[in-house]
Amino acid sequence: MTNDGQPKGQRGTRGVTLWFTGLPCSGKSTVSQIIYDELKKRGGRVELLDGDEVRTRLTKGLGFSKEDRDENIRRIGYVCHLLTRNGVIAIAAAISPYRAIRDEVRKMVGSFVEIYADCPLEVCIQRDVKGMYKKALAGEMKEFTGISDPYEAPLHPEVTLRTDQETPEASAARLLRRLEEMGYLPGGAAVPEPYTPEEEAAIRRRLEQLGYL
Amino acid sequence: MSPQRKVAVIGLDCVPPELAFDRWRDELPTLKRLTEQGCWGKLKSVVPPITVPAWSCMMSSRDPGELGIYGFRNRKDHSYDGLAFATATAVREDRVWDILGRAGKQVIVLAVPGTYPPAPVNGCLVGCFLTPSAESDYAYPAALKAELTGRFGAYRLDVENFRSDEKERILEQIYQMTEQHFAMARHLVTTRPWDFFMMVEMGTDRIHHAFWKFSDPAHRKYEKGNKFEHAIRDYYRFVDAQVAGLLPLLGDDTSVFVVSDHGAQNMEGGICVNEWLTREGYLALAEPVAGPTPIGQAKLDWSRTRAWGEGGYYSRIFLNVRGREPQGVIPPGEYEAVREELRRKFEAMLDEKGRPLGTRVFKPEEVYRVVRGVPPDLIVYFGNLRWRSVGSLGLGTVHTFENDTGPDDANHSEYGIFILREPGLKSRRVEGLSLMDIAPTILDRFGIAPPAGMQGKVIQGS
Repeated sequence: MTNDGQPKGQRGTRGVTLWFTGLPCSGKSTVSQIIYDELKKRGGRVELLDGDEVRTRLTKGLGFSKEDRDENIRRIGYVCHLLTRNGVIAIAAAISPYRAIRDEVRKMVGSFVEIYADCPLEVCIQRDVKGMYKKALAGEMKEFTGISDPYEAPLHPEVTLRTDQETPEASAARLLRRLEEMGYLPGGAAVPEPYTPEEEAAIRRRLEQLGYL
Repeated sequence: MSPQRKVAVIGLDCVPPELAFDRWRDELPTLKRLTEQGCWGKLKSVVPPITVPAWSCMMSSRDPGELGIYGFRNRKDHSYDGLAFATATAVREDRVWDILGRAGKQVIVLAVPGTYPPAPVNGCLVGCFLTPSAESDYAYPAALKAELTGRFGAYRLDVENFRSDEKERILEQIYQMTEQHFAMARHLVTTRPWDFFMMVEMGTDRIHHAFWKFSDPAHRKYEKGNKFEHAIRDYYRFVDAQVAGLLPLLGDDTSVFVVSDHGAQNMEGGICVNEWLTREGYLALAEPVAGPTPIGQAKLDWSRTRAWGEGGYYSRIFLNVRGREPQGVIPPGEYEAVREELRRKFEAMLDEKGRPLGTRVFKPEEVYRVVRGVPPDLIVYFGNLRWRSVGSLGLGTVHTFENDTGPDDANHSEYGIFILREPGLKSRRVEGLSLMDIAPTILDRFGIAPPAGMQGKVIQGS
């Protein structure tokens, strides 16, 4: 912040929906939270709709049948659509196992980036953050994606995160760079330079002489 | 620690503990006295231990990855020539004076690297050595420039024409610069109300790079009894006296920090990183170069180039990745394997006599909490920074003892110095300090809890 109270690096952003999809425990929530925090820090208008939290409010009462799952995604998608058209970066992190409904949301939103948290099932089972896989494997949970319910991986995601091969921070950094390259975010460290070309040349000469470059 | 009224930070760029605390401890009565009145120790720098980003890391308690600043110049994008200077506008995190200013504390910030162009503060700020010229608007408020120029003459930003054998001139300029900066400091602390004061003097860095070979018997070019044998020691005494002149103006109850951002060591030589990459088959030229040529001026055959490197005190290696760089060749699926192969080869490098060089290699995501902006793919310390990185091509050798940009005798090292003098502190050597600890410790002295996300810890005085 500068002392006039304005956040540093505040910049205009255009609306976009960042749609995370993947198996339970594939890293969607972790990476989306990092992205959310980073975009907040950059001063962007950003909202995070996490699947688990949404199910306690917006889509409370819906179950895990295909119909209910599709309705769940349709509602999250609709909120993302509203946010996106108002210039907000909407981040959705939900399993969203069915390709057709994801494509339907893509069509509705328009400005849509599908991010596939690609992680082998066995790694997700090892992670098993909430012990759900254990229950599903013991037959105690019906309609559990990856075990007793299908997951349809995206065919053409804009970004694929190999969350079993890189840290959440590395995944997030790669995604941010991709968003910068796609023009949804102003380029990371690339800020307008305060030097004129002549000044820059003089500074470069000085730093070369000093051995820094 | 009960909140105190004032904190002062005297930054001495590049001062290594081996000189300040060991070799010349008894030559520097002021620093010695400060250590006897407080806690002190080695201060671990960041990767890389370079002025930019180190001072901004120290003042924000964020690592270079989190700042997205990996050196003086950073890639703007994945093009081959898109390098941008990291100036004050690139620092997006709060630094200590931003936080203190919002808490109503008055600050004086003098020549701290990463402060040009000057941003408004609650107090005054004089921009750092990355100010283009003494004519530039380097001060906040802007009128301060005229006041300082009127009293002290044109702002001495740095040593001009540094790579030169005119050692007398360079020495004189270093003294003049340091003298002026401490005079400005005395003026500012006595004419303005302040709660927090900070200055950084760059002369200590410049003297190492220009005079190390004259004073270090371990340097391959050292000659006993040479004219400048004591140049660094004498200048250290001068700086010590300057600190002595400032201390009474800071007040006995003030917490006084004396810190450096990294250390210095003998430079054994240079590694021509792009020459090596060429020999190892990672880099290919489209046209041969005639004599030593900076990498930016050589014509590379990108269709046959998998990696290239930047020169400097350390090396940054960039991979040419398909879908990322304009003419990328490494398939994304092979990126990690190529990076790992390069890491292993760098680590196995030998010196000119076939002995292990002791090179250290870092992957950004392994050393930083977050990786922002466009980081290098690898960060390389040749011989653990005892060798610099030479970016030019066409030198015809991997090991060189003549720099591509002129004489330079010293390289940076990983540890700087830390001294904290406070009323009630007992003299104590402290281990395990990091430059990330400075900002939280300063805030603590004002009774302000360090914001979430600061990476350092509060250094307890007792």
